[in-house]
Amino acid sequence: MELPMAGLGTVGEALSRQGVSRRSLLKYGSYLATLMALPAGSGRAIAQALADARRQSVIWLSFQECTGCIESLTRSYSPSVEEMIFNLISLDYQETLQAAAGHAAEAAREAAMEANRGDYVVVVDGSVSTLDNGIYSTAAGRTNLDVLRETARDAKAVIAIGTCASFGGLPAAQPNPTGAVPVTEIITDKPIINVPGCPPMPEVMAGTIAYLVTFGTIPDLDHLNRPKPFFGDTIHDRCYRRPFYEQGKFAKSFDDEGAREGWCLYEVGCKGPTTYNSCATMKWNGGTSFPIQSGHGCLGCSEPNFWDAGSFYSALPTRVGVDDRVLPAALAGGAVLGAGAALAARARKKAALQQQAGAVTGVSATREGSEA
Amino acid sequence: MSMTLLEFARGPALNLSLAIFVLGVVFRLVWLAFLPRAVDRSVARGRAGTVLRSAIGGFVSHMWPAKEYRARTMFSTVTGYVFHFGLAIIILFYAQHILVIEDLTGLKWGGLPTGIITIVSVITLAALLAMLVRRLTNPVLKTISTFTDYWSWFVTTLPVATGLLAMSHMFARYETLLAVHILSVCLLLVSFPFGKLMHAFLVFATRFQTTYFYSRRGSHI
Amino acid sequence: MADAVEREIRQHLAALAQHGTETTIDLRSLPLSDADRAALQELLGKGEVAATINAMGTSEIWETSHAGVWWVRHCGTEGQVMSELVEIAFVPEVLKADPADVKAAAEKWARKRDVIAVD
Repeated sequence: MELPMAGLGTVGEALSRQGVSRRSLLKYGSYLATLMALPAGSGRAIAQALADARRQSVIWLSFQECTGCIESLTRSYSPSVEEMIFNLISLDYQETLQAAAGHAAEAAREAAMEANRGDYVVVVDGSVSTLDNGIYSTAAGRTNLDVLRETARDAKAVIAIGTCASFGGLPAAQPNPTGAVPVTEIITDKPIINVPGCPPMPEVMAGTIAYLVTFGTIPDLDHLNRPKPFFGDTIHDRCYRRPFYEQGKFAKSFDDEGAREGWCLYEVGCKGPTTYNSCATMKWNGGTSFPIQSGHGCLGCSEPNFWDAGSFYSALPTRVGVDDRVLPAALAGGAVLGAGAALAARARKKAALQQQAGAVTGVSATREGSEA
Repeated sequence: MSMTLLEFARGPALNLSLAIFVLGVVFRLVWLAFLPRAVDRSVARGRAGTVLRSAIGGFVSHMWPAKEYRARTMFSTVTGYVFHFGLAIIILFYAQHILVIEDLTGLKWGGLPTGIITIVSVITLAALLAMLVRRLTNPVLKTISTFTDYWSWFVTTLPVATGLLAMSHMFARYETLLAVHILSVCLLLVSFPFGKLMHAFLVFATRFQTTYFYSRRGSHI
Repeated sequence: MADAVEREIRQHLAALAQHGTETTIDLRSLPLSDADRAALQELLGKGEVAATINAMGTSEIWETSHAGVWWVRHCGTEGQVMSELVEIAFVPEVLKADPADVKAAAEKWARKRDVIAVD
């Protein structure tokens, strides 16, 4: 993939330089409008706004991550569509994609920060190590924590790409040895857009960035800072297997009659009902399929703590974090306490009877004594 | 990241309340079973087998009110049966509940379609509300009702209401509705051993004890 | 479902005829199945004009059997559908040459001629 040269002319100018016609831009505008459920006909307005928009300077920071997010974005099924995004932005720093290395790379980041102070966007993929001042993840001899704080200081907004940057993700899973946290726990004074997913859908990443460039504002966000156009519905709400859920037709294992009939995967652990993402509508690999269509339940990868929220194969309403010894212990404890209480009552009764008998004997003895 | 409400409900809350439920119920049952009892010194009328048969007969006949009381108690008897059967159907035959039972016991069986469970739930909720209205409007019942009566009603009704909401996916996000439903069940589980809800187990002991007591004396009630 | 969309298109076409109001319907944002879209396509039929655009993949545009109702299907480079629109307009937006493209073309041509002239 060829990255456009740095420089902040308008998007229209950048496109003309590459021989991309306005028709392509209009086509892309219609595509974005469909993607983000904007009113039909806004394709033209989006195309116009994009053409006139200044290319957005983007500094992309990669922390505790696996590069899956950038792979998802750059190796998407329809490269021409997602590559469009690289015409909208000036990607001034991205460790995996940039040609520069070493001091030159760091110098590019600093130059972009200086040139676009208050106006650049920071994209983060990966969680941030905080334990022992964040020494468990460093680049160019500096901790991620330090670089994030410095880079975000003069940014216009921060986009957290992927579940690690959004919610901590895999690095933050138990026992979280590096003290990994999401971007929101470090940066508190900037608008932050979370685009979770492991990885996020390429259309969702590109759409979010395009929205920012087109309208110059951040889209409507939900309570977890996720753009509502992409994270407004659950997988379950939009799942083509939903009718089977309503009819109570469930696959009980991955190889039974129900699984072969394509019934609902709720009982084999599908997290679709509690997972907000666009997989069921946009689908992966250029609209080919998504996990449930391939016969596997949703893992809930765009939700916080998805790695620690019980087995991927245990159904949603069942217990998590179970210690198998607790209920037998409660049973035994109840039996012992009950027996103990009953025995104590028996002992009390016996004592009372003896006391009664003793009292009777004592009285008669006294009487005998007095009589004597 | 802090724990979400659903994770709290499915995790610590459900595990702890199940433990309290098991401990409390077993404690009370074992305790009652081994408490010292007064020996019945009267001479039994009839042979032991006859007494037992008569006691069981009395147990069964008391499942429906006697002719003399029928007019007065018909409403609460029928409504009571409706919501008890309703609760049994919901708990035992809703596919999601069977998953929970399977998780706890390893036992499983076929469920009913969601539509049927929804209808049963609405009927059950209506019956429970009718019972409350009766408790609040019947002067005698109102006078003898105490806090525990209302509390027992509340912790029984709440899971039915929150369960219906969770099924409907309305008014809030599903994960929130499911968490609230599980938490309402936790409240029921924790309350269960320590109040009138124990009748679910003790009704067999108390009613049989009464019929056996009278049968031994030759009175067939 | 296709009937409902057809009704909407009919109203928009009346508005175009009376007031010249142009409208676009985004078929992919509606809860239509592939079968619904096929039914709608069948229902609208094909008219006199058909065009193909080669820009970032292929786009197919045709006038339906109703003049002023256009079917616009944008595909990506791999042939997958990116968006699908019904435009109720005299000419579909995407067919017109954009002034910016026209200006760029004119300038480019002029430069070429200058280069030749200098040579």
